[in-house]
Amino acid sequence: MKLRHLLRPGRRSATTASAVAIAAVAAIALSGCGAGGATSSGPKTLTVLVEAGGHAELQPIADLYKKDTGTTVRFVELPYNGLYNRVNSELSSGSISFAVAALDAIWLPAFKDGLTSMNSFFTEEVKSDNFPAILDEAKGGGSNYVGVPAFANSEIVYYRTDLFNDAKNKTAFQSEFGYPLAAPTTWQQYSDIAKFFTKGSLYGTGLPGAVETQYLSTLSQAGEKSMVLNPAGTASTLGDSYSVKALDYYTSLVKYAPPGTAAADWNAVQNQFYQGKTAMMQFWAHAYRQVPTSSPVYGKIGVAALPAGPAGIAGVPGPYYLSIPKAGKNPSTAMDFVKFAYDHQALSASTSLGLVARISVLKQFENKPGYAAFRPMIDTLSAPATITRPASPNWQNIVDNALVPMLQKAVVRGANNSRLLQAAAQQVNSIVAK
Amino acid sequence: MNGLESRRWSTRTIIWIALAIAIVLYAFPFVYMLFTSFKIPIETNAIPPKILPSVWTIDNYVKALQTDGVVASFINSIDTAVISTLLSLVLAVPAAYAVTRYRTRLGRVFILLALVMRMVPAIVVGTPLITVFHNLGMSDTSVALAIAQTTISLPLSIWLMASFFESVPTELEEAARVDGCSRLSALWRVILPVTKGGIAVTAIFAFLASWNDFIFALLLTSVRAVTTPVMIANFQSQFGLDWGTMTALSVLYSIPVILLTLALQRHIVAGLTLGSVKG
Amino acid sequence: MSDKRFAAWLLFPAALFLAVFVAWPLVRFITDSFFTYNPISDGPHKFVGFANYVETFTSPAFANSAWRTVAYTVIVVFFEFALGLIVALLFTSLGNASRVFRTVFLYPLMIAPIVAGLLWRFLLIDNSGIVNQLLYEAHLIPSPDAIGWLSDPNVALFAIALPDIWLTTSFITLVLFAGLQNIPADVLEAARIDGARYPTLLVRIVIPMLRPVIAVALIVRGVDAARAFDTIVVMTNGGPQNSTETLSLLVYNTQIANGDPGLASAMGTVYLVGMLLASVAAVMLIWRPGSEDR
Repeated sequence: MKLRHLLRPGRRSATTASAVAIAAVAAIALSGCGAGGATSSGPKTLTVLVEAGGHAELQPIADLYKKDTGTTVRFVELPYNGLYNRVNSELSSGSISFAVAALDAIWLPAFKDGLTSMNSFFTEEVKSDNFPAILDEAKGGGSNYVGVPAFANSEIVYYRTDLFNDAKNKTAFQSEFGYPLAAPTTWQQYSDIAKFFTKGSLYGTGLPGAVETQYLSTLSQAGEKSMVLNPAGTASTLGDSYSVKALDYYTSLVKYAPPGTAAADWNAVQNQFYQGKTAMMQFWAHAYRQVPTSSPVYGKIGVAALPAGPAGIAGVPGPYYLSIPKAGKNPSTAMDFVKFAYDHQALSASTSLGLVARISVLKQFENKPGYAAFRPMIDTLSAPATITRPASPNWQNIVDNALVPMLQKAVVRGANNSRLLQAAAQQVNSIVAK
Repeated sequence: MNGLESRRWSTRTIIWIALAIAIVLYAFPFVYMLFTSFKIPIETNAIPPKILPSVWTIDNYVKALQTDGVVASFINSIDTAVISTLLSLVLAVPAAYAVTRYRTRLGRVFILLALVMRMVPAIVVGTPLITVFHNLGMSDTSVALAIAQTTISLPLSIWLMASFFESVPTELEEAARVDGCSRLSALWRVILPVTKGGIAVTAIFAFLASWNDFIFALLLTSVRAVTTPVMIANFQSQFGLDWGTMTALSVLYSIPVILLTLALQRHIVAGLTLGSVKG
Repeated sequence: MSDKRFAAWLLFPAALFLAVFVAWPLVRFITDSFFTYNPISDGPHKFVGFANYVETFTSPAFANSAWRTVAYTVIVVFFEFALGLIVALLFTSLGNASRVFRTVFLYPLMIAPIVAGLLWRFLLIDNSGIVNQLLYEAHLIPSPDAIGWLSDPNVALFAIALPDIWLTTSFITLVLFAGLQNIPADVLEAARIDGARYPTLLVRIVIPMLRPVIAVALIVRGVDAARAFDTIVVMTNGGPQNSTETLSLLVYNTQIANGDPGLASAMGTVYLVGMLLASVAAVMLIWRPGSEDR
């Protein structure tokens, strides 16, 4: 009986089979076009690869572009490392999904072979409206311009105006250090103020160990002329007297910073300041307009240029460029958008990031309320001691595998700075030797 | 009663309490994630942190769903998982049947190779696949992603189906053949209905393998076929870790599989049980 | 059609699939290891013979990563099994009354590793992680900053193991529980009558009888742990100071971040061969029991 029952071709199996088949067909049909929003086929949509900062900056420009030309700009936002990996991966495989990308300056040397040349864009007029360092980096170390400046950035000092203006603090500081409490202008002052404010549950300054640019600014402030690599890019300059002096100063600040320095990245430093745990921080200029209103320190923040070391004020320029991949889709629409973005850069100033690259636009906004961060940024970017990061295609590799590990070791108690620098130099040498 | 069961009332109570504590500790991370998804941004990063929100908000969920591409990525995740599951079943069922019922040398070699395939790290298979799919004109499609994900779930699917087939007595096919069925229709009409439970288990595990995949989605998709795990990871930006939105999206992404588990828990346990019976 | 032919036809779809989408990419991957080239400029592929392999074996980065991968695998598998066995025994001690607990234990299996990695990063992160705060409030650590889970290179490797252990202990528990159900009650009863107490029962009877189950689960989980990627990349991305850079991350970074496909392929090939050898060794050691005794 049982066997006969099993042998009867049940209706159920037939309906199950057809249900499965229908589901399969439906799934394949749905997937073929990929349900992901607007597809990047045809000139009506332009795909732009960005990270969070770039997205905020370019959104108003994209909105205006759509109104003017009808083309929708679709932003694909990725985390910083993710953006680098994606561009690297796509340029390597030749399978490009984007028309324009907003790239960090230090990536241009690695990607320049896959990017379209934009020499025709850089007229005398354009060249005169941008900082020399930023023009220089637009070539990515090659002979052609491969990116159009979208926005410039640099670190500046943020400090708690409520703490600095407090009468009791002012008197105590004056009596302890012999000069009035104000925004720091030199290494010594920065150190003194950090020391003064490290008490109780407050710390004097944030200090990142997991990201490298603050150390690199300190390096420039110490007087270094060839950051990390010699001009030919063949050997490392780490281990020289500037690097040691800079690292010694950098690690002297560890005791004034919250614990966990080795793992502190930009998020951590920024968060500590916003939560009211630190009295100062050195951070990128764009954050000035991004303080959350729910933060306890909202409205109590002042900004100043980076402190001067032995060689004066210096900062690391962190510009972003709009680039077009050689094998990308819609190259003419892409170039059109890039031009449009450049012309309307003033729109970026009112975004949450609020940064621009063009000197004329910076000047336009620097005295407006809410743009207090522009002046210190301009001062830092135009300082004589400010140098750019080397245009080496291996830069990301150097940062990930030599610089950051070295920093993380250096901020631990009892570290031997000059030995660490020499070890890092050797590592850099082996990376560039390939 | 099994041989190890404790009979003393006092011991059982102690064990019960110990297990309850263990469960609470084990569930804590997920519960904390749930609470965090309802916190306002400044609280998600509070120093020192608190467990419960002082202000409850659903903003994170709204923001997560409104972010460009998130809802589309959910649809992609579902599509890709369905295709991958079907593919896995269609390939695994006949192969497992062949291996169990017809103990040929080819079958044994095949099973061994399938197990070896399972050891290959995803990056090793993934990077060449980028080029393969590019050459086939299938870059950034759900089908391509589903294929890649199936390479991971296929060995397990074959192994599970083989276990289930082994527990089916051969008398069934013999009776079917006697009644005039061909080998193929014996499989289709007789054996498969009997192993429906096994197929359900295999389908669940294949679905999960695809739903939870990250690395292949990272390597093989960019704009059109992006799945939600990649979107979740993309909420990390250099200048502000948005824990609230990330946890909200993670909770949303876990709900379908939790519901699936609820509906099919008997089958899942059966699948794990078979893992132990097969020596 | 003979039975053999029929079986071959049944195997054909799966075999073709694996050949095209696994074997072929694997072959390409391995052949890539004998060349060096810059993928972006699409320059010529330069044949370099075994140079990439020499670099792999002499690079401290690879040796350290290999060592870390082994350490990570051992930590993960050990804790999974230890905790899994304990909980499974607790379940067994309650018999059917443990049903509700067992159901709850199903759910961690369902969570995506990327979600688990992010979650544990959130729990352990310096300054705002809740784990240290709770440990501090329970007076188990002197201050909330005593343990730098993700910032101390000596601890980080253990920290990244946590999500993996959290996710899969439940799997091991349920598998072992099912295995425990199969142990004949009369054998245990007989031993009890002979005066054996619980520990003896455990060591002389239960574990030997679980051996086949443990063997399979051990090898499968060991391979999975050695391949782990999602949780690690999102928790620490290999840091601090590369202390959590396991082989999967090293290969990924060499390929995608450093843009050196030849070297990445060499490393990946050595990695794969290593895992094969380890699995074969494990099978030989564990699966071929010395004597099926009790």
